[in-house]
Amino acid sequence: MKIRFKLNGREIEAEVEPNTLLLNLLREHLHLTGAKYGCGIGECGACTVLLDGEPILSCLTLAVEVDGREITTIEGLARDGELHPLQRAFLEEGAVQCGFCTPGMILTAKALLDENPNPSEEEIREYLKGNLCRCTGYVNIVKAVKRAAEEMAR
Amino acid sequence: MRQSFRFIGRSTPRMDGVAKVTGREIYASDIYLPDMLYARVLKSPYPHARVKHIDVSGAERLGAVVVTYRDVPDVVYCPRLVSTPEATYKDWRVLTGKPLYVGDPIAAVAAESEELAQRALEAIEVEFEVLEPSFDPLESMRPGKPLLHERIRYMGEEVEVENNIACTMEIEQGDVERGFEEADVVLEREYRTNRRYHCQLEPKTAVVRPEPGGGVTIWTTTQSIHNTRLLIHEIFGIPVGKINVVKTALGGAFGSSIQTNIVVPIAVALALKARKPVRLAYTREEDLHEHCAYQMIFRLKLGARRDGRLTAGSLEAILDIGAHQIQAYPLLGCLVGWWVSLYKLPNLRYVGKAVYTNKVPSCAMRGYGNPQITWAVESLMDELAEELGLDPLEFKLLNHVGLGDLFWGQGPTVKSIIKSSGVEELVRRGARLIGWDKRPKPGAQRGRYRRGIGFGRGFHTSSAGAPVPGTVVDYTGAMLKVNEDGTLDYVTAMMDCGGGTLTAHAKIIAEEIGVPLECVNIVRADTQTTLYDVCTHASRGVYAGGAAALQVAREVKRKLLELAARVLDAYPHALKIRPDEERGQGVIYVEGVEGREITIGELASMARHKNWGTIAAVASVRQGSCPPHFTAYFVEVEVDTETGKVRPIRVVAGADVGRVINPKLAEGQIHGGFAMGWSMALLEDTPYDPRSGDLLNKGFITDYKLPTARDLPPLEDFQVFFVETEEPTGPFGAKGLGEGALNPVAGAIANAIYNAIGVRFYELPITPDKILKALKGGERR
Repeated sequence: MKIRFKLNGREIEAEVEPNTLLLNLLREHLHLTGAKYGCGIGECGACTVLLDGEPILSCLTLAVEVDGREITTIEGLARDGELHPLQRAFLEEGAVQCGFCTPGMILTAKALLDENPNPSEEEIREYLKGNLCRCTGYVNIVKAVKRAAEEMAR
Repeated sequence: MRQSFRFIGRSTPRMDGVAKVTGREIYASDIYLPDMLYARVLKSPYPHARVKHIDVSGAERLGAVVVTYRDVPDVVYCPRLVSTPEATYKDWRVLTGKPLYVGDPIAAVAAESEELAQRALEAIEVEFEVLEPSFDPLESMRPGKPLLHERIRYMGEEVEVENNIACTMEIEQGDVERGFEEADVVLEREYRTNRRYHCQLEPKTAVVRPEPGGGVTIWTTTQSIHNTRLLIHEIFGIPVGKINVVKTALGGAFGSSIQTNIVVPIAVALALKARKPVRLAYTREEDLHEHCAYQMIFRLKLGARRDGRLTAGSLEAILDIGAHQIQAYPLLGCLVGWWVSLYKLPNLRYVGKAVYTNKVPSCAMRGYGNPQITWAVESLMDELAEELGLDPLEFKLLNHVGLGDLFWGQGPTVKSIIKSSGVEELVRRGARLIGWDKRPKPGAQRGRYRRGIGFGRGFHTSSAGAPVPGTVVDYTGAMLKVNEDGTLDYVTAMMDCGGGTLTAHAKIIAEEIGVPLECVNIVRADTQTTLYDVCTHASRGVYAGGAAALQVAREVKRKLLELAARVLDAYPHALKIRPDEERGQGVIYVEGVEGREITIGELASMARHKNWGTIAAVASVRQGSCPPHFTAYFVEVEVDTETGKVRPIRVVAGADVGRVINPKLAEGQIHGGFAMGWSMALLEDTPYDPRSGDLLNKGFITDYKLPTARDLPPLEDFQVFFVETEEPTGPFGAKGLGEGALNPVAGAIANAIYNAIGVRFYELPITPDKILKALKGGERR
């Protein structure tokens, strides 16, 4: 089946099977490996991408579902070589260790800040609860999201 | 005197950070090659069985390439190559006809798509003879129980296994009986730990490409590219030079890839047969059937005099290692090492037994047995202090192994003297910050929510270095060369599991030579272009790996100054190098003489034009000790006596890691260590279903309780501090950190729970069920 959708700001066309998962389409056919496979069944959040700005689990989403819609992956977040404030904050706050949860974590955090530009710490923790991280204990991640929110408010 | 540093001790972003936040970092699981086949593995549905018959023709008819236990080399190996042959037992085969746990690989297929591979897998017909399994080590050791392995290999010989005991170790020092007689109080308790799963976010993966001429290129989740290479050589006989293992980023490991994961030899076998690249990427469920932490049963006994001095200790440890040995024997040694290096025991006896059970093979998991034994010791010391009427802090400080003491580090073969210790200050400062003096009396509270404060301390070795060779391989190679623009290429085989290890190396190099940090380029390397490094484990990345980085930096600096001395017409010892951020490189200058200077780039270019050659250095470095880094945790918890749930209220964590290289990333190790310790104490376990012999959670992490962002204390209530010491053997005085960050956490939490509700628990995890049951029964031991 042919699908058309906007991927990181660019219109694209892809030939997919009815059962092709969005995660596999991105990783194997479009060579965007930023979204990670961590569990394949929606337990860990490492495959998170944005669908029309909403965080979704690309391992549970069929490619055909994104036909006519807009997908943002971690590769599309930096514009013109300029890091997104969340990306900068993750770097500066030491919120990245092994980095495997990072793309999903940053995109989930972006959806949060788009929804709520000034979240409390509790709201941040609540919003990120579906993204597992085994390295950081979430401390520097929460700090980074707060910092990015502050920077974006300026 | 405190030196001033330009890079050391200042927080700098990790150098692979931009790649990681932009999704451009490449992990082994991100490797997809042209014309690649997808592999799937056929696994045993039984915990103990024998394959009577296997028919793969259905799979082959679908066009799949198939290998079974009959097709792989008849080599018995140990997947972990960190120990010397004297400390290595071998009981693994690539695929098996006698599966020993649910999930044991029997055959594997490769096909053009994952779907086709799965169909092929399902077309394989297997007939099993089901054997009696054992899931508990005590049961497994009983005479007459079916043996998992009848014979295993040691030093090239076959050895018989008796009563499923994989290996044992016994150590006795002093006169234990007399030691206990001299004690005024003797306590003996039995502790049982949980069977945890690493849950590194990246499931185990191997991509193997056969090369013309019989070689292979391998991308895999590993903590040691060189040991992966050597193991593939050992199993398949491919010349070492024709095996190239390429470094990729690693999505966490926590010890689960010290050994070469089973996906690697399986993918090699398939790729060699298919003559095409093969990708074998485990699902999460498969990964949960690949490794777990060692579950341990301790009978621990300690005796002390009224004045608080310990007089004797005895420890019987039974390790439930699962179906295979990965490092059970060295672990028996480390376990006694961790135990006797916490507190001074004038008389001691240790008996350790590692026992096979029909469960997933166990391996190191952050701390390598240290979190387990430290939980038990810190619990019993707390209990003993109470019996003696002493403050646990004072009791522990009085007995702790500290500065100038003999340290067993990585076990009886790795002994050294402690040359730096911040223990006393860690404990005193932590106590002040948490308000130790104001903590409640144990069990005195009433009401639904009860709070308590607990203390736990511990340590871990930094590397497995030692003054003598011992039975652990521990050294690191490094290369450093100066490019023509003043940048430097740093080449190391060492992996960065996420701790920021290689960023620390770059900082050490930049500091030593005097160049901007951005000048140090960490080369994407592989086994063919690097010197041997044993592994990124044992908290050795900064201490041991960093020592190699420092050595090549010193050598390069010496050569730079020698050449610059010619050019600048000055003596080498009168020259200095400063990092010039504007020019983006280091500048060599004659101190006190204005205008007499040259950039490193100009010098390197001149060296090229004048044919002086490349300015470079290479070193292979072995550390002569494995100094302990120390940690102390003070944790306040709240127990909900109606639901049995425990909530973290406050954490104060102190660490002596020698000199801190990168504070924010160092703090990150503590944060992550606490989170892992929190769930070790309260949440994580992988129980088995005795009927199916499979994991009760079937491999789903939904049913494996990990902490989420919601479950941990608020930012302002998690305080981390460092007590800086100068470790004379460490690069710029640095020690390790990764494992010490976890080791005492469960003990501190268990003591906090006791302080809140007056109940001690001897089995992990301390679940709401256990808490409610204990409160209901009014149980107070």
